[in-house]
Amino acid sequence: MKIFKNCPLLVGVAAISVILSIISYACQSSAYSEYSETLDFASTPHIALVFKGLSDGVYPWSEPTVGGEELFADGRNEISEMGSLDNDEFSSGEKNDDAESVITVSANGSLDVSGNSVSGNDSFEDTVSGNDSEKVYELTAVDPEYFNDALFIGDSRTVGLSEYCKELDERATFYAKVSLTIFKVLNTPFVKTENNDKITVEQALSENQFAKIYIMLGLNEIGTGTPEYFANAYADVIAKIRELQPDAIIYIQGIMHVTEAKSSTDKYFNNENIDIRNEAIAQLANGQDIFYLDMNESVDDENGNLLAELTFDDVHLKASSYQRWYDYLLGHAIVKQ
Amino acid sequence: MINFSDLTFIFRFLPVFLIAFFLTPTRYRKVTLFVGSLLFYAVGDLKMFPVLLGAIIINFLFAKALRGSNNKLLFGFIIVLDALMLIEFKLLGQFVDNSFLPVGISFFTFKMISFQVDNYRADISKEPKFIDVAAYFCMFPQVVSGPIMRYSDFEKNVFFKKNDSELEVIDLDDENADEMLEEKEVDNFADKKNNFAGILEAIEDGLRYFVVGLGMKVLLADHLAMLWKDIGTIGYESVSTPLAWLGAVAYSLELYFDFWGYSLMAAGVGMMIGFPFIVNFDQPYKSKNVGEFYRRWHATLGSWFRDYIYIPMGGSRKGDKRTVLNLLVVWLITGFWHGVTLNFILWGVSIFIIIFCEKYLLKKLPEMTSAVIGRINVLVLIPLTWVIFAISDSTMLADYFMRLFPFFGAGIAVNEGDFAKNLGMYWPVLLSGLLLLVPQIFELFEKYKKKPVFTVLLLILFWACIYSLSNAAGNPFMYFRF
Repeated sequence: MKIFKNCPLLVGVAAISVILSIISYACQSSAYSEYSETLDFASTPHIALVFKGLSDGVYPWSEPTVGGEELFADGRNEISEMGSLDNDEFSSGEKNDDAESVITVSANGSLDVSGNSVSGNDSFEDTVSGNDSEKVYELTAVDPEYFNDALFIGDSRTVGLSEYCKELDERATFYAKVSLTIFKVLNTPFVKTENNDKITVEQALSENQFAKIYIMLGLNEIGTGTPEYFANAYADVIAKIRELQPDAIIYIQGIMHVTEAKSSTDKYFNNENIDIRNEAIAQLANGQDIFYLDMNESVDDENGNLLAELTFDDVHLKASSYQRWYDYLLGHAIVKQ
Repeated sequence: MINFSDLTFIFRFLPVFLIAFFLTPTRYRKVTLFVGSLLFYAVGDLKMFPVLLGAIIINFLFAKALRGSNNKLLFGFIIVLDALMLIEFKLLGQFVDNSFLPVGISFFTFKMISFQVDNYRADISKEPKFIDVAAYFCMFPQVVSGPIMRYSDFEKNVFFKKNDSELEVIDLDDENADEMLEEKEVDNFADKKNNFAGILEAIEDGLRYFVVGLGMKVLLADHLAMLWKDIGTIGYESVSTPLAWLGAVAYSLELYFDFWGYSLMAAGVGMMIGFPFIVNFDQPYKSKNVGEFYRRWHATLGSWFRDYIYIPMGGSRKGDKRTVLNLLVVWLITGFWHGVTLNFILWGVSIFIIIFCEKYLLKKLPEMTSAVIGRINVLVLIPLTWVIFAISDSTMLADYFMRLFPFFGAGIAVNEGDFAKNLGMYWPVLLSGLLLLVPQIFELFEKYKKKPVFTVLLLILFWACIYSLSNAAGNPFMYFRF
């Protein structure tokens, strides 16, 4: 008792540490299984499990979660296999097939394909002209007014576009949020209504109609799941948007690259991963009402990395660089009729 | 692990070390400290580990040779050698590869130089053994970022002293009687401390400071750092003027709580193993002028420069011209010590100019005016000097000042709403930081730190920090949310 009287803080810290550590050990393969799979216990003590769980509302007595949470763990497990997945699913063989089909189509008479200003994106050209019974659309330059009935959906990079591109922000609508992912884009309530409520993008899209919808998502979740898993989730989102906005042109924007400095040192956030995923989502375009746009050419260096002088943190454009993105959008739009 | 605000340090290294340290018989505790510190350092920077080891051995050999000798040449040689070692690695780190800069070299080199001077001047009474010197140079609570403790404080450690100190008869006629009596008192004090209850109490006392420091670092500094980073992301040329000023405040607070927090943690760990509390920050922002600010800010560095550079050069005793030169030299070296890039030199020079003006111009003004200007210097000019300190690229630095003082033209793609947005996001940390600048708040803690209400608050604070650290740990995505 004397110890407790003289050293209450030490006793408190030590006792709670011991209790929480025991709980962490005991529950590491039940309630906290999803965290223990991803945590490196060589560098992080077990006790972190309790607090990681706490921040997600997972307690020692919680059932091991399935579904959304499990996905997180899956992603970490599979990420190490990303290289092999690359070979399996997006193998160079398949790419060659694409290239061949472009040639075939060209032979059929859709000669505009090679001049398509999407700039050498195989998959896009493929999809644009993949179905030669349909009309072939070309990307053309448009006026700023084009964006009057446009919606932009995205993460912090799109937030930046809205904040630092006044001309676009005055015309277009933005449903953008820092750390937004394709998995949560439709059902996270963050769109502010007139009465200052927050509704989900899905609700907002059932209430408001847009003629053009631009999406750029995919960087936050680059460490989660496989490219295929990501593309499937993306396809579901596109399908839902299509259902709610039957007349809108949907633009899938390729994920913007990171700089060479970032790409060459980061296990997850590198341009190789970004390109794999871009290729996967490009396949979702149909050339009729869903198009793939890749703005990277407006910000990349000759090696396909984000130009270092356009960014401070190697990931986001600086305020003064958003104009490049906007200029790209002005120069690359679909006009129907 | 080399960071005190790291879960592995808090839950693994520190408890294991403390148990090992106190299980070790008193006379071998320095060995435990030395071995533990080597392990700590090796985990953090294995590549440059031999540099630390080599520097310890060389400094010990020179100190042994210089003990009681008057060989100025030899003494000059080891000082120059230590200084050159520091300069060389700083240059290598800057111009070749950052990994060539051994962790903590700025700090342990300064300890080595101060030790050599104290040893040469015979300010150190007992001849130090190798283990004393080695444990002093590399002790883990200080090896990374200070404080630059003097050897005399190392000797005051209560847990190195024997429990059953031999009885000595003190001859009161002896001219050293006072000193010996004092030593005796310290020994008696050590006797009382060096039992189980005393050990736990020392750990408890240190823990209180450690928790406060941890809170400053994890909850304030790390979050303020995110605001400063966000400003960089926008690009300095594109921030609005109010946000530029908010950024200067945020960075100043970040630096303060990062370093003050670190110093409290270091001092706290030091107390746990029996060292006296080392004051490194003493409410600098309550200073009446910049000169005073730098006696209160990173005080162990300031007093090092005073004792080992400024005063040996003549201090202020050799006339005004010489004083000014001495001041300039001290501030140029201080700038260089912080970093090799131009902005640190510029930072040092600007502090020199402010102190020069305070010393020679401000005094001529009426007292009231000079008092007001002194406060403005501390509260406005100091944050501006921190901006210089923060931005190493000179073009970017110029951009930032153009936004602070928008007389030379407008920025590019400025969004005037950025100030409100960031204030809305960061006001809790900014407000807490500003409140902690009020000296009475920390004084309140110091006065009542043993009251139950503070114990409960500290316990909550500790676990809040662990919550924050746990969610950042092993999660590369925590700080990378786009």
